Amino acid sequence: MAGLELLSDQGYRLDGRKATELRKVQARMGVFAQADGSAYLEQGNTKALAVVYGPHEMRGSRSRTLHDRAVINCQYSMATFSTAERKRRPHGDRKSTEMSLHLKQTFEAAVMTQLYPRSQIDIYVKILQSDGGNYSVCVNAATLAVIDAGIPMRDYVCACTVGFVDETPLADLCYAEESGGVSSLALALLPRGGQIALLQMDARLHQDHLETLIDAAMTACKGVSKVLDEVVRQHLQEVSVLTRE
Amino acid sequence: MIKTERILHLKSCRGRKVRVVREHYVRERVPCFSALCQADCDNDGKVLPGDLTHYVVPDVGVVVDYLEILEFRELQGIVFTQTACQAVQHSKGRRQYNRLRNLLKDPRHDCVLFANEFQEYSYCPREKGESQEKWQTRCVYSAAVWYHNHLAGMMDIVMITEDQDAVAQFSSLSSGVYVVSVQDYLSNFWMELHAAHELYNSISQALEEKESEGTEKEYTEHLPSEILEAGIKSGRYIQGVLNVNKHRAQQEALITTQASSNKNTDLSRDVLVYGGKNRNRAVHGDVVVVELLPKSEWRGKVTSLTERQGDEKTGEDEKSKPMPTGYVVGILQRNWRDYVVTFPPREATQSQSRNSQRILAIPWDPRIPKIRISTQQADALQDHRVVVRIDSWESTSLYPNGHSVRVLGRAGELETEIQTILIENFIHVPPFSEAQLKEMPVNSPEKPWKVHPSQVASRRDLRGTHLVFSIDPRGCEDVDDTLSVRTLDGGKLLELGVHIADVTHFVPEGSLTDLEARSRATTYYLADRRYDMLPAVLSADLCSLLGGVDRYAMSVLWELDAHTLEVTKVWYGRTLIRSSYQLHYELAQALLNREDTEVPELAPLSPEEKDAKLAELTQALEMLTHVARHLRAQRDRGGALELEGVEVRAQLDAEKNITALVPRQPLEVHETVAECMIYANHWVARKIQKTFPHQALLRHHPPPRQEFFSQLVDSAKARGFTINTSSNKALADSLDRAVDPEDPLVNRMLRMMATQAMSQALYFSTGAQSQEQYYHYGLALDHYTHFTSPIRRYADMIVHRLLTAAVDLDKGLSPAVALATNKELEETTQHINNKNRAAQRAQKLSIELFQCLYFKERDPQTDPSCVADAAIYAIRDNGVLVFVPQYGVKGPVYLKNRDGEVVTVGQDGRCEWKTGSVKRYSEHISTTCSSGTSTFTLFDHITVRISVQPSRCHADSLNLEIISNKPHKSAESQQPHSQGRSQLVQEVVRQAEEASQQAQERASRGPRLSKEEREFCQSKTPNLYSLLEEIRELALMDVGACRDCFMNIMYTFYS
Repeated sequence: MAGLELLSDQGYRLDGRKATELRKVQARMGVFAQADGSAYLEQGNTKALAVVYGPHEMRGSRSRTLHDRAVINCQYSMATFSTAERKRRPHGDRKSTEMSLHLKQTFEAAVMTQLYPRSQIDIYVKILQSDGGNYSVCVNAATLAVIDAGIPMRDYVCACTVGFVDETPLADLCYAEESGGVSSLALALLPRGGQIALLQMDARLHQDHLETLIDAAMTACKGVSKVLDEVVRQHLQEVSVLTRE
Repeated sequence: MIKTERILHLKSCRGRKVRVVREHYVRERVPCFSALCQADCDNDGKVLPGDLTHYVVPDVGVVVDYLEILEFRELQGIVFTQTACQAVQHSKGRRQYNRLRNLLKDPRHDCVLFANEFQEYSYCPREKGESQEKWQTRCVYSAAVWYHNHLAGMMDIVMITEDQDAVAQFSSLSSGVYVVSVQDYLSNFWMELHAAHELYNSISQALEEKESEGTEKEYTEHLPSEILEAGIKSGRYIQGVLNVNKHRAQQEALITTQASSNKNTDLSRDVLVYGGKNRNRAVHGDVVVVELLPKSEWRGKVTSLTERQGDEKTGEDEKSKPMPTGYVVGILQRNWRDYVVTFPPREATQSQSRNSQRILAIPWDPRIPKIRISTQQADALQDHRVVVRIDSWESTSLYPNGHSVRVLGRAGELETEIQTILIENFIHVPPFSEAQLKEMPVNSPEKPWKVHPSQVASRRDLRGTHLVFSIDPRGCEDVDDTLSVRTLDGGKLLELGVHIADVTHFVPEGSLTDLEARSRATTYYLADRRYDMLPAVLSADLCSLLGGVDRYAMSVLWELDAHTLEVTKVWYGRTLIRSSYQLHYELAQALLNREDTEVPELAPLSPEEKDAKLAELTQALEMLTHVARHLRAQRDRGGALELEGVEVRAQLDAEKNITALVPRQPLEVHETVAECMIYANHWVARKIQKTFPHQALLRHHPPPRQEFFSQLVDSAKARGFTINTSSNKALADSLDRAVDPEDPLVNRMLRMMATQAMSQALYFSTGAQSQEQYYHYGLALDHYTHFTSPIRRYADMIVHRLLTAAVDLDKGLSPAVALATNKELEETTQHINNKNRAAQRAQKLSIELFQCLYFKERDPQTDPSCVADAAIYAIRDNGVLVFVPQYGVKGPVYLKNRDGEVVTVGQDGRCEWKTGSVKRYSEHISTTCSSGTSTFTLFDHITVRISVQPSRCHADSLNLEIISNKPHKSAESQQPHSQGRSQLVQEVVRQAEEASQQAQERASRGPRLSKEEREFCQSKTPNLYSLLEEIRELALMDVGACRDCFMNIMYTFYS
């Protein structure tokens, strides 16, 4: 349906944001005491919970053990109540498997796995409510959880989606925009060095526009990283106050 | 930014209701677009002036139903709310929404859009149980209050609504914000704007009518759009544009399918929709969805000729072989526009309407169904032409409902008819506004315009070095192209130059004049007047490259090898020129022929000087002709086509009455000028395409579809010629061979048929087409654009800007203004193409109008000029189609009338009507009756009598009646092609003398007339317009290209 006007003549998007504005990001770290690390992150109406176990000894098949670094095991799932219509199968479908794989690749690039040879790090992410940008929300939540678990990383991994409408890149797409036939690109960035951990795009886009799109995505990721940094500092402050007493 | 949430209930694709939560961000700073803003809003773009008495905030209902009233330019300070715009988008569809968007974008309208739902203080969330309408009204009201507060109470805000409850509820709530109904608003603030009042009454009446509709169904309901889309995807339905047959408007309509929407190759042909029930309320031009009928119900198109009045007659007509037939199941996109209708006289009104307020008005365009109008002015409007709009067409009503917008005048009057033609072709040409004229430079005797010193420095100065001259039709005032030619390097090199008026220097991109020019896209030439694209100060003075004055120009200079004529160097850029001679075609030709002529520029000189100058000029002309011949030959080898149009010139006397219809003669110098222009266009196209591969404006001419050539091939076979249509070269060659020495008309008619088979040449943006599609079939060039007439074509102005940017880039400068992107350019080209088509149609219609006027004054029975020679060019079931070369008229001749009588030929060739039968064969048609059989073959010459068939509701048409099967005796002498070229020249000169005599007479008649002249025929003799008719005939060219060298079009596809 081409009926939706994703970007009005005055530069507003459907939900009132301008092209480069992100959705509101709210996050908490250390939501579960049982796990080694956990975090809850909301980006607009997309809400995710990430839990990290490890690093610990390899469980299950020992054959997968790597002698020089840790294995990262990711699992992505969506709650049955996360979408407008109840989901039948919360995990294990092809989309989830693919998403798990992407998460794994992202974190293999960011976590300093060589510090933990012959061990395993488990990252479980669950989408509680889905409103577009599931991948980036998962990455951001998992970053916080990994930090909460005290696992050394090269840098924060921050992810964001961007779409391309009317020759303008739109940052952080919501579901309505994603489903409106926009060619979108997901990018996970290590912001300090500007290294790209993962870049994914399934849609068609003219080569000439790719650069502007990546630039916009990087700017958006840096914006996310600022928010995450603040959350981590806030959390540390709280924790250090507690431990001091 | 503050985040809130909005809960919507939407339907899912499976039809279930889904609760959707959407985020909604509101912010404090939303631009208000008012000059009075105290808070430093980020107001870029249009800004409402601060010196108005009030701002108007229309309610949702008003915007949805009464948008037309808000379109009046007199209404100022309109603030559209986002709520209202979205409501329009949802309830009225994309077309109406785009109209609103254009209104908002148009700098000539004083209105802005306020994003009220994203403003923190004007946003009001919808309450539980609140109806949508109430909520929308509340939103609009709160936006109005916000405006009042934001502007610190300095501006009164008037909210207009149709909701009486809202008036009662809100009117006393806050001071400074007034809530009134539309009617009160109009009568309080715009007493004098009668047009708005009338429009308001007419719309509200139409709305009332809609509510009181009956319930009996006349048509089946349309299917919902989801089903249609699914059906199109699955191939069950076919999508296409409805095209109503002009001659059988009530019965036959074709669906022209788009190639993308139908995958079945056997359905690549069009689909026939037969009868009103099957058409199911679709109107000509709508995008509709059809379902095919079972094969047993398929039928063929009626191929016999029908007379206008005989619309109802169906049944025993012979049919062509059955073709896919279907019925309309739904309409995807209405394409309603403004229609011109005629109100029937009183007696007809009463008989067919239940209450006297409803009138069935008959549209001028026969393809449009009658429109039901509710009005109280029925008596006053009898026999008047009125502009109406269709509002709706319910399944319960036999005819669509509409409302009247504007009265044009009494039917049959010249002014009314011209206005009708303009409106029917969406041509809107108001006089240039004050603000637009203010942008123009001044050139008056007190304040003469001068060349600016900074421009002298930045431009290449050709005033001293080059002999520049222009060749145009006699009396031309807007000279936009000049030529120069000289030898370099002691004769080793030739330098050819084409210098075009630098219009874009005076019209910066985005200025009001530019916007107006863009919306007009071209200068419109009608039979008796013209509407300029640019204000006269530019088109006739400062941009016009007149003789003896300094002017800015854009030039292309080629250096050619003097012998091989190979291009060695090309230079593009801005220049400063002074044209030395302003020649006209006849004079230039006379100079070439070495005849004794007087060049006005040389008159004051002494004889020796004169001879030297004359020799110089003549030599330049000869050089030019030499080069042009070479270029022409080059293109001919590539396969350029020579096609034939109907070329007739209407000779008008001082009162603009047609005194004669004269065929025009070509001169070689026309060809020379045209060839140089084509060359310039070609090279500029190459340049801009190379510099901007994705966003250059070019013009292409797609190869014609082979099936269109069938008539040409078949007709040629009748005379024993074979036409090879495999390529443009083959076609050109075989057309050259198909010459009947007995009858030169045969070749002309074949060329005419070839022309009709051609597709239309179009502008496009290089980013939107693949490289192979750049080819220009008619000119046989791989790149082509329009560069040489910026005064009357907007496309040329775009090309000028592109070329300037390209030249700047070469110099290492970055262009000052960002160029249009491919998408924007493609939109612009679409617009220009549409406008060009409209201009051609309007021109043709105005020519027909004048043809009818010409014959209307003559009694067909007695006046010899009403009897003419005609040649048969096509055969139909009950008659033949003929071409009258003398007047350039094409039309049907019936061999069988409605009483069943047929034409029989007597001993002396005279024709009579007798009972009998008609039999049609592929190459001839014969009539049989008691006294014998007579046969009419293709290309036969017959004599016809021309009379006017008056029509009250539509345009008058010409009626051709056969009176003899022998050629008309005086016909041969009027064949210009049988004469030698020198004779032709003499003929032209003689005509020119006559014309100048007329001009003298005109001058002696005093100032009243000359004012008229100035008004309507600003730059050339009125007669030329009619010539342009042939351009339309050729259908490939556009008006502008051909004006200055209009005769060449017979030779070239100069487009």
